[in-house]
Amino acid sequence: MGSNALSYSETFKDHLANPRNVGELADANAVAEETNPVCGDRLRLSLRIRNGRIEAARFLAYGCPPTLACGSALAEMIEGMCIEDAVKLTRREIVKAVGGLSTRKQHAAALAIEVLRTGIENWRHGSMA
Amino acid sequence: MRKVYLDHSATTPVDPRVVEAMLPYLTEKFGNASSVHLFGQEARAAVDRARRQVASLIGARANEIVFTSGGTESNNLAIRGICEIAEARGRHIITSVIEHPSVGGTIDFLEKRGWDVTRLPVYDDGVVRLEDVQAAIRSDTVLISVMMANNEIGTIQPIAEIGALVRAERERGRRYLWFHTDAVQAAGRLTINVETVGCDLLSLSAHKIYAPKGNGALFIRRGVRLLPQQVGGHQERERRAGTESVANIVAFGAAAELAQREMNKRNEHTRRLRDRFESVVTKRLDEIRFNGNREQRLPHLSNISFRFIEGEGLLIHLDMQGVAVSTGSACSSGTLEPSPVIRALGRDEELARGAIRFSFGKDNSAEDVDYVVEVLARAVESLRKLSPLHRRSVVAV
Repeated sequence: MGSNALSYSETFKDHLANPRNVGELADANAVAEETNPVCGDRLRLSLRIRNGRIEAARFLAYGCPPTLACGSALAEMIEGMCIEDAVKLTRREIVKAVGGLSTRKQHAAALAIEVLRTGIENWRHGSMA
Repeated sequence: MRKVYLDHSATTPVDPRVVEAMLPYLTEKFGNASSVHLFGQEARAAVDRARRQVASLIGARANEIVFTSGGTESNNLAIRGICEIAEARGRHIITSVIEHPSVGGTIDFLEKRGWDVTRLPVYDDGVVRLEDVQAAIRSDTVLISVMMANNEIGTIQPIAEIGALVRAERERGRRYLWFHTDAVQAAGRLTINVETVGCDLLSLSAHKIYAPKGNGALFIRRGVRLLPQQVGGHQERERRAGTESVANIVAFGAAAELAQREMNKRNEHTRRLRDRFESVVTKRLDEIRFNGNREQRLPHLSNISFRFIEGEGLLIHLDMQGVAVSTGSACSSGTLEPSPVIRALGRDEELARGAIRFSFGKDNSAEDVDYVVEVLARAVESLRKLSPLHRRSVVAV
């Protein structure tokens, strides 16, 4: 049974202990929710985008610790970012922001990128998930 | 930071009295128990004494105990040893769906080699039903392997009843049906008597009863023959080759004696802590589910599913606060394996993923319980705030 907390970096554990930008925005103009179909991990992102910039970002997450940490890192990173830069964000940058992830746990960073891109896509099409 | 170890079903700290008993066998009494000289005789005497101590814990005769490297080896030796020797008599095994992986995996291995396996359900309370065992017995069944108590939820199985069933089958003239039970979690917590249980084989592990890792034992009832899985030496009466790990065996013996002597005291203590824990957790947290029959279970263990959150996240939150627990679920490479034991109870995937095992030990205190409840309540609240499955946290920024 179990897992090994020691295999996670201090930055990672800080995201878990003090997740940034938790919740949902009351005045979001873009919302996305993505689920990893294999493991059921879920990330929900709500964004307020004005003048081509992400003014505010909030996240909710269900799943294994990497999913929670990547959600937190994502929501923190993208706040204040212009859309052009946000769409260019990569899985690798999320992994770096949580202080590294083993190959087996990188799917969490992929889910974070996916929910961000869906969020921006939804905003472009003016639809709310 | 305060540290609280609540994972005694995974392993236990070595009792200082056990360390004291084994130390001379790592230093001046270093002999090989197979040697003829004085050093060897000293080691042999120590192994024999330990064998009596371990036998006494389960009401067996000393010569019915074979020392192994641990519970996994004991289970392998029991299951493969019987099945491989009895192959000509039948190729059907009965087991349960909640066995420890060392039993489940050994049986899976045999299944791949052509054995038929019936895996008994445990319903929503985590307990095998005797009538299911009875109904599963076929003319070619050679082995029934059902654990004495489960390692994740602590439920106690109707082992003595299964033993009686096997005896009745024998009385009807059936000679080639054997009964094995994995008692790794039960030993030192339940009073075990192999006569009452009626088993032919019973597995034990040392490190679950405050002895070091790397040692275990298999009870093999007098007259039961099995195929050794490790050959190339005469040790353990040709049933398990290899130089005896004398110091470890001495430790196991000492720990078995202490476990037997202190069983009631330890059980009362851990039951009190466990019950206090469960009662406070119930008051502090909603949307929780206790897993497994709450009456028919080991006294030191509590398994709880916390809705809306995932066990590994909770485990790491607790770990960051110095609290050590276990979860049966594992997530890797984007694939999730929710605890098969919790799934076997019919729980949905969310509950199976949110299950945590708290297992108390003789050295835990009431203050430990209070600390854990505080830390746990905060961690659960914080994870639920994060969870999209929980009520939404709408903020205005």
